[in-house]
Amino acid sequence: MKASVAELLAVTIARTLRDDDVGFTGLATGPRAALYATLIPLAAMQFAQATHAPGLTCLLAGWCHNPSPGSITQLPDAEFDPNLLALPCDARDLGYPPQYVVKRGDVSVGFCSAAQVDREGNVNTVCIGDPAAPDVRLVGPILIPEHMALFGREIVMMPRHEKRMFVARVDHRTGVGFPGGRRGRAELGLRGGGPELVVTPKCIFAFDAGGRIFVRSIHPGISTEDVRDSTGFDLPGLEFAPVTEEPGQEELAFLREHVDPHGLLRMDTAA
Amino acid sequence: MQVGAVPRWHSSPGRCQAEWSTISVSVIVRKVRATKVRTMREAAALVPDGARVALGGQSVYQRPMAFVRELIRQGRRDLVVVGVLNGPELDMAAAAGCVGKVETSYVGLEQFGLARNFRRLVERGAIGIDDYSEITAFDRFRASEAGLTFLASPHLGGSDVAARNPNAVVFACPLTGRPYIAVPPADPDVVVIHAAAADQYGNVLAAPAKLLPQDFDQTVARSCEKVIVTVEKLVDNSYVRRHAERTVIPGFRVAAVVEAPWGAHPCHSLGFYTLDKAHFEEYVAASSDDVAFRSYLDKYVYGPPDESAYLELIGMSRLRSLSTVTGVVL
Repeated sequence: MKASVAELLAVTIARTLRDDDVGFTGLATGPRAALYATLIPLAAMQFAQATHAPGLTCLLAGWCHNPSPGSITQLPDAEFDPNLLALPCDARDLGYPPQYVVKRGDVSVGFCSAAQVDREGNVNTVCIGDPAAPDVRLVGPILIPEHMALFGREIVMMPRHEKRMFVARVDHRTGVGFPGGRRGRAELGLRGGGPELVVTPKCIFAFDAGGRIFVRSIHPGISTEDVRDSTGFDLPGLEFAPVTEEPGQEELAFLREHVDPHGLLRMDTAA
Repeated sequence: MQVGAVPRWHSSPGRCQAEWSTISVSVIVRKVRATKVRTMREAAALVPDGARVALGGQSVYQRPMAFVRELIRQGRRDLVVVGVLNGPELDMAAAAGCVGKVETSYVGLEQFGLARNFRRLVERGAIGIDDYSEITAFDRFRASEAGLTFLASPHLGGSDVAARNPNAVVFACPLTGRPYIAVPPADPDVVVIHAAAADQYGNVLAAPAKLLPQDFDQTVARSCEKVIVTVEKLVDNSYVRRHAERTVIPGFRVAAVVEAPWGAHPCHSLGFYTLDKAHFEEYVAASSDDVAFRSYLDKYVYGPPDESAYLELIGMSRLRSLSTVTGVVL
């Protein structure tokens, strides 16, 4: 058995999750974005719950607490999809404010996506080009400022890894990473920890002690040159990046049987 | 009566009261409680050009689309749309030239992607936009509800959401010195929501099931004094009085009620019908450029003179196929 990229990412992310985590994943539109922003995080949380982190709380779409593993049979792309409403779960938040408290820091790990990420870990979902006269207007800030400022740590899920998305400086700093390094972030007085990982179909980025992005690992079969050519900023030390550890056969079998019986993580072929 | 004679009620206080009350009944004026039921045309006329308007619902759920179509027919201009998660209601009104500015956290069509008319207008500089984060956009309505003149946001430091918003001001907590960013409350002049039912006095009933869009509409309705409600079904007050626990907006806070069956089409209306996917696909295709979308407006908004004509155009068989009445709704 060989893991798909989505399965590889689900297991790799699961290993970073803790028993006391409260994890939040929103919904993204389009099959690829839904896979990265929703399904992989959901699978990672459910894999962690079923293995080393049974106490983890999963907030799917921000309102469905701890849905049963395997209960999602297709890619969800609507916030109040009837399929989501029927999921067996611990609690459903059907109002605002929800039962968890965003501004007091209840969410310890969040998953988001963006149109651009830069080397300081800032993310953009508002526009491409000058915000005063944008070339492309996108959907707007949505919950991105909260993900990056209030959640304990953030895992940024990027459905594609291309130069135009990994830029030296985002066109609109919608969500705040480490501008001016970790010290710069500390001066902003934000409660949350900011970005921890940036996950792509080619590699996983992390942030060093100064708050600068680096490649933590490159996925099997992806070359160093490919990552460098697909990234719009310098990556010093890239040649020393290890290969992303593949899930063991037992882990993969467990993932397929327990977490993803409908094979949604194997539908991803185009990396 | 003889001079000096004592009127007989003076001798008996109890009697006196009875006599007086008899007299007052004879002069009482009994007006009829005013109905708040209006036609769509009358209700839309309550929104002046340039008004700050909050349109209920979220993304593609529970939007007052029939009302928006009437605003477009009436040629409203320079509206400031204030919201949280905006969708086709804004995209359509903007394309028709009704909107001057937007204050929100999201404009899009959820599973149908970007709001393409809106996108073009922003890229062209034809519409102004103040971006807010989602929680801030929600809480701006709660600030209005609380009667506050600003909302203190503790988490927007370093973000262009604050840096690029001319109305965002950094200040220090007067007690602790902690930095905050003050943003103005939502403060709509008019709120328009689409709900399950209401009576003739404006008491609004929720469907038994309620999700975030319907729940948040109640907060939006408390952020303003001019609340217009379009409903799937008008019911008599006698019905409301038997099911008062389901009243979610009391009549005195409502300015006008309009019966608008299928009034959220092509969006979802919880408990009544689901989203019209085929119509959305037609909408999305039409919104690829100005000319094509003008044809859409001609066909679906300017063409039909009112909402009954619109529903006829959509067709009863299509509408019936969307029906989701899964249990007792009313």
